[in-house]
Amino acid sequence: MGKQTTEMLKGTLEGIVLAILAVSPAYGYEITARLRDEGFSDIAEGTVYALLVRIEQRGLVDVEKVPSEKGPPRKVYTINAQGGAYLEEFWRTWSFLAERIEQLHQRIERTNEEGE
Amino acid sequence: MAAKWYELITGSLDDKKAYRQYKARIAALPEPYGTAAKAFERYFMYNGGITDGDSAVMITMLHDFADLWERAAVDQTPVEDIVGDDPVEFAEAFAAAYAGKRWIDKERNRLTETIQNLERKEER
Repeated sequence: MGKQTTEMLKGTLEGIVLAILAVSPAYGYEITARLRDEGFSDIAEGTVYALLVRIEQRGLVDVEKVPSEKGPPRKVYTINAQGGAYLEEFWRTWSFLAERIEQLHQRIERTNEEGE
Repeated sequence: MAAKWYELITGSLDDKKAYRQYKARIAALPEPYGTAAKAFERYFMYNGGITDGDSAVMITMLHDFADLWERAAVDQTPVEDIVGDDPVEFAEAFAAAYAGKRWIDKERNRLTETIQNLERKEER
């Protein structure tokens, strides 16, 4: 993933992670793995970790600590009602943006074709 | 602010204990995780943008930070998978997640208020 992808992802990653959690609860490393399955191949585990801390502090997810055989307990993240509301707004915002950008793209393409 | 860290070490007994526990966890990390964790810790200490005025938030952050590296060590996750390709960006993103009160907040509010007051004067 290039620099531009990373930059663009910044604003949307919270929504993407919440969308993944809306499918089913998950551990941190599972979330990273699922992101990779979805084609977000270069996302650092630490980035996801920091994001999970952020959405936890903002009350968008419920967190349960599960003891682990080795090392610190693993945290399971579940989307809650507040997170659900955030996700709904995220989809609306996303549709709006995607539509606007695509329209702009089409208009410029047409202008270029007419100019040739 | 580095001063805050100093207070953790010299502050309340509970903070001191929690800080010492954290230090012990970092010290116990196998390589290369120990070196990586200490490098970030150093950056946190010298970077003024890290939480200020709330030692509880900072203690939480440090222990979460220790969790992250212990987990990585147990799972044998490569350091680059944790950090990504920009260590500074990772450090900033990690610290930003613990949005306690920051010393810069006061200045931000001041700037905002000053500009808002200007706008109000113009409306008259």
